[in-house]
Amino acid sequence: MTRYGLPVAIAALLATFWFSPDAQEIAAGVAIFLFGIRMLEDGFKLFGGGTMERVLESATGSTPRAIAFGIVSTSLLQSSSLVSVITISFLSAGLISLIGGVGVIFGANIGTTTGAWLVAGLGLKVNIAAYAMPMLALSILLVFQKSKPLRGVGFALGGLGFLFLGIHYMKEGFEAFKDQIDLTQFALSGLLGLVVYSLTGMVATVIMQSSHATMVLILTALAAGQISYENALALAIGANIGTTVTAIIGSLGANFQGRRLALAHLVFNVVTAAVALVFIAPLRDSVDWISAAVGIAEGDYAMKLAVFHTIFNVIGVVLMVPMLRRLIVFIEQRIVEPVPDVSRPRYLNEAVDAFPQTFETALRKEVQHLYENASELIMHGLNLHRQQVYTSDNLAETVRQSRRRLELDIDQDYERRVKTLYSAIVEFTTRAGDKRLPPDIAGRVYALRDVASDIVQVVKSVKHLRKNILRYTTRPQGAVTGLYDDLRTEIARIAVEIRKLGRAAPEDRSALWLDEERAQIEEAAQKATGRVDALIRSGDLSPAAATSFLNDSGYAYSAMRDLIAAARSYYIERDSALAEVERILTLDDEEIAEAVTQRNGAAAQTAKPTVTKPS
Amino acid sequence: MGLKNLAEKVVEYNARLEDGKASKIKPGHVEKVLKKLRKKAAALESEIAVADTPDRKTRLEKKLNIAREHVERAEWLLNEIGGAGGA
Repeated sequence: MTRYGLPVAIAALLATFWFSPDAQEIAAGVAIFLFGIRMLEDGFKLFGGGTMERVLESATGSTPRAIAFGIVSTSLLQSSSLVSVITISFLSAGLISLIGGVGVIFGANIGTTTGAWLVAGLGLKVNIAAYAMPMLALSILLVFQKSKPLRGVGFALGGLGFLFLGIHYMKEGFEAFKDQIDLTQFALSGLLGLVVYSLTGMVATVIMQSSHATMVLILTALAAGQISYENALALAIGANIGTTVTAIIGSLGANFQGRRLALAHLVFNVVTAAVALVFIAPLRDSVDWISAAVGIAEGDYAMKLAVFHTIFNVIGVVLMVPMLRRLIVFIEQRIVEPVPDVSRPRYLNEAVDAFPQTFETALRKEVQHLYENASELIMHGLNLHRQQVYTSDNLAETVRQSRRRLELDIDQDYERRVKTLYSAIVEFTTRAGDKRLPPDIAGRVYALRDVASDIVQVVKSVKHLRKNILRYTTRPQGAVTGLYDDLRTEIARIAVEIRKLGRAAPEDRSALWLDEERAQIEEAAQKATGRVDALIRSGDLSPAAATSFLNDSGYAYSAMRDLIAAARSYYIERDSALAEVERILTLDDEEIAEAVTQRNGAAAQTAKPTVTKPS
Repeated sequence: MGLKNLAEKVVEYNARLEDGKASKIKPGHVEKVLKKLRKKAAALESEIAVADTPDRKTRLEKKLNIAREHVERAEWLLNEIGGAGGA
């Protein structure tokens, strides 16, 4: 609301209450109903334990499944707004496709019509408050339980109780209100009525942020004879457009994909509303025909409105599904994917912040983005090209061939492409503490922050190495060049192994593969020390160059260990029991050292110790 | 490499499990990891068979040793889990 919006709204409500005390009952009914929706949402979040999110991930594989998911989830949650916001969040995190997300939104529009049936079929026909009271009383017992699922059930039950109570008060309010004022005197017929009441329905939904609440208000007013059936139809059409505002607001903090989905939602609802307005007469006839066929009384306008609400949303889906691909193309053209700016976070945004699954997935992808940036910088820092390294059949030879100095301001690139992302990751993960994430997800979130930290350390180590890499590897200088080439080769080899791990199918790969690289690093470190000693003794390495190398090899092996640690943590199984198995099976430092000693012992038995002079 | 450290890790894991700070490992979990490890060992054996340089062959053989070590450890863990009805 703007600065004046809230005072004006409060003043308008107070003035209305002064003028008509019965309006208080209607307004309180709306307030209780909206509170019920919020409570129902909270309940499902607790009770579901991420079930909905997990199902959403797998339910968007095809358009029919996505639509079915939208129908079922919205029917259960009684809130198309929540389903829209979750879908935007998942789309922003890259967990679902745009076409899948649009399918869910289509389904949500059908699912939301169950609310009208609930009110028209049950709320207006039985004493719904009689059900609300025991529900609320029971719910409070459950809400104070320690168990999360029980609390979730408590909130959901309480939410439903408040929904019923809200409907009851709206119904009572309109019944009393009609004795004072006859709102039907404001009824408008013809095109003017359609336009004015559609706009009214839209504005009411924007204010209440719930098309559901608007529909209940329309149905109760209609049942009390306070609005005409024709105007109620127009109000329902307007409410369908107004509901897109929630999705638009939800998309403001989302990335371009989230904004695309909000636009798709708007297009769908506006097109559906336009079709309904243009064909209002035949639609009304078909409602009468269907109502008669299913046994709805001629004068039961509340039920007829529910039929109308369902028909026009179903028609919207039937019309739009064949045009889905074209709709996606249109949206993608309207909201163009921004040119990737490697220095800015791609996945961390407010929209992914709302759910544990999207929080973790977005963070995981951002850490991968950081690694992409960092690995390029690492390779360039070593005077190597990533593509050449990744496609090489003989890495040592590729490194030996890479003598041309790569122009690079490593400090500036570090600040721009690594540090900015790392800062965003740290800032994002600190929010995890405020979110009461499930312990397993919280553990993985903090582990991902440590992965990012390890990656940054690798870049810092390479920054230290860069000076002597340029000094000793841009032209052959005998033994010292060979030593530095070996360091470059080992780091490049680890980057290749990490890439292999990343490209392997998740069901095939194991972070345990990296133990092989750990052993290799320790063996190489031992051999390098021995080789330096031998080269100094033979006079092939000056003490100054040896000192530089020993310092730099410290940075290099540290970079390798950090790379492995980052990859191990990143690729460890996400299932916590499988991760435990991997943690138990992984070789500890002592066992790696033992493995290296055994290797060296075996090598000593099969070959004479030699000092290889690098070319 | 012996299995002493591995046994210590299992003891440490069981302590965490009793405190409710670890997830319960079932034989199926170990079998899943074991399957991946065996597949990796087999892939390394195939690579060794077609290795074109002695250096590459040596390097792959070292990798295979570690992979076999993992397989041995996983088999031991599976036996522990299966035998004790849980780690």
